[in-house]
Amino acid sequence: MTMLSLVERERYLRQIPLLGETGQERLRDAAVLVAGAGGLGSVCAQMCACAGFGKIRIVDNDVVERHNLNRQVLYAARDHGLFKVDVAARRLRENNPWLSVEPVRETITRESIGGLVCGIDVIIDGMDNYDARYILDDAAFGEDLPFIHGAVNGFYGQVSSIIPGETPCLHCIVPHPPPPGDVPILGVTVGTIGSIQVAEAIKLVTGLGKPMAGRMLLWDGLMGEAEVIPVARDPSCTRCNGRGVAP
Amino acid sequence: MKVRVKSFAILRQFLPRETEVEIRDGSSVRDLLDLLVKQAPPLANELLNEKGELKDFVNILRNGRNIHFISGLDTPLSEGDLVALFPPAGGG
Ligand SMILES: [Zn+2]
Repeated sequence: MTMLSLVERERYLRQIPLLGETGQERLRDAAVLVAGAGGLGSVCAQMCACAGFGKIRIVDNDVVERHNLNRQVLYAARDHGLFKVDVAARRLRENNPWLSVEPVRETITRESIGGLVCGIDVIIDGMDNYDARYILDDAAFGEDLPFIHGAVNGFYGQVSSIIPGETPCLHCIVPHPPPPGDVPILGVTVGTIGSIQVAEAIKLVTGLGKPMAGRMLLWDGLMGEAEVIPVARDPSCTRCNGRGVAP
Repeated sequence: MKVRVKSFAILRQFLPRETEVEIRDGSSVRDLLDLLVKQAPPLANELLNEKGELKDFVNILRNGRNIHFISGLDTPLSEGDLVALFPPAGGG
């Protein structure tokens, strides 16, 4: 691990007191997969770039549309019709010239996932459907990588850090997904939930604090209420069976 | 007996954040839901499908354990149990 340069120390002046130089170096040496460049993905990628993660691989196959702009904070009106990951890469590099961004125009499938997690240290969930989330979850357990789950609906959101060997898998936490389809979403909700997801990633990489492992945060922006509930493993789950926490 | 019920997200519009429910001894989660729906009829739309069965994506935790992994709606309740009801979010 090489030391931070003087310019990097200046850039991170206000957070090195929290993370320590070692923590900041750990972030710089870490690679995150931001799976999805929509609402959550925009916020997560932006927050990862600001915080100083060394590498962000961001995956999405969509182009920017007008109805994305209420919540997908990486994009501007002029980006209409451009691939999200290309715009995202440009914006993230503008924020942080030390960052290595790898935009990938792909859909997350059982076939593509192997290449997408290669060389990655943390997977961040920015998906809008559980089919893809379960693929990420399986890859996390297969490759022994932490997977930071987040999802939103309207004013509501949830976050849980899934850590192979320590916590239940996503199939155990959400055994039956809600019906697929577009749900109403506000920018403030993805801002809240995405930021908490990246806080989890920072904690996991630097070793600070206590991850939301085996626990799930439920955020209700409408009522202004947050609750953390325990999540437990399905005793018969074959994915995290024997590797998850004791029930 | 008494059990505590916590509700989240959309269900929170029909139920308090946390409430204590008096229910006869030996009741199951199904009995508890029946009672809650009687007290707040609009809950039925959120919890049950057209056939009156529980929408399977609504997570119900009894003392932190998903009833899907216990005995589903037949999961028995005991004095002091904490039942949490939450429909997971899916968007991103
Ligand atoms: Zn599992």
